[in-house]
Amino acid sequence: MSKGRILLGVVAAPHGVRGLVRIRSYTEDPMAIASYGALSDEKGTKEYRVEALSSVKGAVLARIEGVADRTAAEAVRGLRLYVERERLPETGEREWYEADLIGLAAFDREGRNWGKVMAFHDFGAGRTMEVSGGSASRNSVMLPFTDEAVPEIDVEGGKVTVDPPAGLLTGGPAKEE
Amino acid sequence: MARSVWKGPFVEGSLIKKAEKSRGNIRSEVIKTWSRRSTILPQFVGLTFGVYNGKKFIPVSVTEEMVGHKLGEFSPTRTFTGHAGDKKVSKD
Repeated sequence: MSKGRILLGVVAAPHGVRGLVRIRSYTEDPMAIASYGALSDEKGTKEYRVEALSSVKGAVLARIEGVADRTAAEAVRGLRLYVERERLPETGEREWYEADLIGLAAFDREGRNWGKVMAFHDFGAGRTMEVSGGSASRNSVMLPFTDEAVPEIDVEGGKVTVDPPAGLLTGGPAKEE
Repeated sequence: MARSVWKGPFVEGSLIKKAEKSRGNIRSEVIKTWSRRSTILPQFVGLTFGVYNGKKFIPVSVTEEMVGHKLGEFSPTRTFTGHAGDKKVSKD
């Protein structure tokens, strides 16, 4: 299952008077936003060629083809830039795009519904996957993104199998004595 | 002011007990803890803790580089979920 289009960035603000814009990039390497060719708007009707110039204040300073002055740059403020999913390069064997996994249904081996994959986090102690919205747990649950906790991923089938580690969900909120 | 060296690192006593008990188990399990202030000791390497962040338990897999840090450092209390973009995830 591949999602049609993926949001790569948003035009945050104009920069200067020559039509440059600051883009909030959602790519792993912010400057890579320009490496996927022409990007499209939310409806997919118009294409924009982006040239990334440098990074400034946590954003990418870029030139958009056809945007030549500040007035034109003001007009594209807030523009969301998408890329076709097919244009992203193939992933490795044990590698997935977050965009492909987010939204997949999560079930455990007994078939209990754990809701949907909401997000991925990395706080410096191993990558975690957040699932929420299922009948098996009231709150959202963070699971280590490992073979033990997430044994199967079926992107085509739209589901992941989870096996929450023992101890993560058991026991009430009793404090350690 | 830094903690006196003669006291040694602070670790919740119950956490050490839990870790020792978990080491004996064959199946890996998450050790739930509320003690964010506990220092990570060398004997915790290889264990996975569920460190409470005020709302939920964040899995913290302890590695050698984390020794000497506090458990709470790896379980932020404020999280921000951005857009996925072209970010990839892989199983270690």
